[in-house]
Amino acid sequence: MLLSVSDVTVQFGGVTAVADLSLQVDRGELIGIIGPNGAGKTTLMRVISGLVRPTSGSILLNGQDVTGWTIDRRVRSGLALAQQIVKPLATFTLAENVALACGSRRMGSPWQAMTTVDRNAELQRGRELLELVGIAAAADDYPSAVPLGYLKCLELARALALEPELILLDEPLAGLNQAEAAQMADRIASLVTESRSIILIEHNLREVIRICPKLFVQDQGRYLDFGATEEVMANPKVRAAYLGEGAI
Amino acid sequence: MLALDLLLQGIVQGAIYALIALGLTLIYGLLRILHVAHAALFTLGGYIGVIVTNETGSLPLALIVAMVSVGLLGIVIYRLAYKPLLDQSPLVALIASIGLFIAFEEVFRLVFGSYGLSFENPPLRTQVNLGGGLLISHSKLLVIGMAIVILSILAWLSTRTRTGIAWKATVTDSQIASSFGINIERVRYLNFFIGSALAAAAGVMVALLTNLVEPTMGAVASYKALAIIVLGGLGSVRGTLVASIAIGIVESFGTVYVGHILDRDALAFAFLVIALMIRPQGLFKAG
Amino acid sequence: MAYEVILLTTMAIMVLFALSLNVITGFCGQVSLGHAAFYGIGAYVGAMLTKAGWPLLIALLPAAGIAGLIGFFVGLMSLRVRHDFLAITTMGIAFLFVGFVRKQEWLGGEIGISGIPAFGFGRIGLLVVALACAGLFAAVTVYLKRSWMGFGFDSIADDEDTARILGIDVPRFKLWAFVIGTAGAGVAGALYAHHVRYIGPDSFGFVESVTVLAMVIIGGIGSVWAVALAAAVLSVLPLWFQFIDDYKLLIYGLLVFAVMRFSPNGIAGALQSFRRRLR
Repeated sequence: MLLSVSDVTVQFGGVTAVADLSLQVDRGELIGIIGPNGAGKTTLMRVISGLVRPTSGSILLNGQDVTGWTIDRRVRSGLALAQQIVKPLATFTLAENVALACGSRRMGSPWQAMTTVDRNAELQRGRELLELVGIAAAADDYPSAVPLGYLKCLELARALALEPELILLDEPLAGLNQAEAAQMADRIASLVTESRSIILIEHNLREVIRICPKLFVQDQGRYLDFGATEEVMANPKVRAAYLGEGAI
Repeated sequence: MLALDLLLQGIVQGAIYALIALGLTLIYGLLRILHVAHAALFTLGGYIGVIVTNETGSLPLALIVAMVSVGLLGIVIYRLAYKPLLDQSPLVALIASIGLFIAFEEVFRLVFGSYGLSFENPPLRTQVNLGGGLLISHSKLLVIGMAIVILSILAWLSTRTRTGIAWKATVTDSQIASSFGINIERVRYLNFFIGSALAAAAGVMVALLTNLVEPTMGAVASYKALAIIVLGGLGSVRGTLVASIAIGIVESFGTVYVGHILDRDALAFAFLVIALMIRPQGLFKAG
Repeated sequence: MAYEVILLTTMAIMVLFALSLNVITGFCGQVSLGHAAFYGIGAYVGAMLTKAGWPLLIALLPAAGIAGLIGFFVGLMSLRVRHDFLAITTMGIAFLFVGFVRKQEWLGGEIGISGIPAFGFGRIGLLVVALACAGLFAAVTVYLKRSWMGFGFDSIADDEDTARILGIDVPRFKLWAFVIGTAGAGVAGALYAHHVRYIGPDSFGFVESVTVLAMVIIGGIGSVWAVALAAAVLSVLPLWFQFIDDYKLLIYGLLVFAVMRFSPNGIAGALQSFRRRLR
């Protein structure tokens, strides 16, 4: 088991954002997390990545209990996160943005970082990854000079640069037009390998259903269904949760 | 009795801090600038207060002249110094502000002399008995009264008048406010005017209490007011008021009970550092 | 000759002091308004030890060590408070230091420590040591900036939340910046104590903290050479203005203001745009 989320509850003040959720992810899986607005999807993602501490419950990554770990430690142990709101380092070129991520697992110890000067290999790898996501031409540009679609790709390239076993993608298709979204979805699907899994949170149900073999559905912070995409979508409870949203 | 006396001292000191820090909070809330030169306006207010009182014999007149003229100077400072720096890193404005503060202090020294000025006939020195042997001077009563009156007027303005509501909205979230058609630039001018006028009032009050204004009197105000607005949550008016009174009281008790280990300023900052370690965002959330 | 030696020593010490803050504020983006406290800690440690018979060159090590140790704890605070909150917290630390020293008899209290022994190899010797320390520290920071640690610092200065998502161990990097920077300030302080041979609580106040921050920012944040240049010039500027003694601080203040107002990126920024215009 690559990731095991057990009975996670998150409360902010008096509000329960996520209640008693459990989720298991194996190696090589592509799982879509869906649910109407306010379902607590992003909160679940933030708990898995370490941006939010759960009120109760635990998270195991590769069999290790990481519940109390900071996000950067989880990242150095095989997790990567691409956020909905793109956060490029503004003073770094795109290639440098990726290069930093390429090196960060090795440079976890400040001593190692202090005694290493050469960063050509990482910059080279950064360019390759930018090429892989299709924005190699902008490698030497600064984030302020490129369009949003490029920055979405940059998020993906940075996540890949961390050589993760598990990638969390929060709304990678938001803000893209239909053609771009389809292209990005194909790209995401192609990134799943035997040793690498992806969890995808996405509002664009069409693309999620198209590329994800398994779906996890939550509504108002609670578990609704988890299983093969077709079965989940046939579940009347799931359809009810979406009724009125007109998303299907 | 000592405890009551110290409490009173603390509240008087806190009221003065509140008058100085409120202006800083207003300015920070809108521009995210730590306006160190604010303390120079406080000093100038003190000078104008003493000089006008000595010339005309009227303290109220002196107070009004000080507040209006210093308020206008605040607007000039915003226009000439900060407005061009708004899209730079806040550090740039901070250093510019510190440079300005040093220059102002020197101007005061060159113009008014190094030794300071006093009232020819110090007003309001008489003491009142609050009962039980607790004495307070009229000037201290005036300080507390002034603080209450000014803050009440501001509270009334900001909740009951159109301009006031617009103003409050802008301080809380200027982007939303501007989408509702509020002229942010005017609110900024207003903030600098009101904030600076309050600092001037505080300067006059301190002059009354100590019967002395000197070029360096702003130094304490410059850093302690910064500490107060940070403690209050940066940009929170309510937080600033609570933090002002809290620091005033901590200082007055602290100097008596732990004054042999730390001096007055260090006490205030020890309190600040401890409070921030417990609540890193300050006592109150901004807004 | 003696005058020039004193002038150069002052410059070298201030360059070291400013470069030490540059690691924390320039490289790692953590604004400190209380750096003079560490300068002061180094000065007091150095002075106490040489008065107890230690040679200065050896006393520099504990001066750096103790300043760095306290810097480590302040660094821990920087993990909890950020941005303007951190700036004010560090300012608070500086006031705590001064307020504490003022009340300690064994540190000379208000009066301070006088009769600090002169350096064994004379004024020229001290100048050589100061230049060596400043030069060494400059070389170390230039190297740091080029290393992966500098790369990590850049990312933290840019956006520490994003740096974390990219796997940078932000807390440990910050602590290193604080330890390196405050240890450097400790050495500068110990040298200063033996340069002026009298120290008191007022030598390490808010003005000193602000002055050194102004040097870093006027130089152009992060750039080692520009910060060194700004520190060298600003440290002796008041001396050059002696002939207009009464106005020297006024001019200093206005100059600081004017640089920020008209060249917000400091000397480094001004040179850059000048070069661009030449092309």
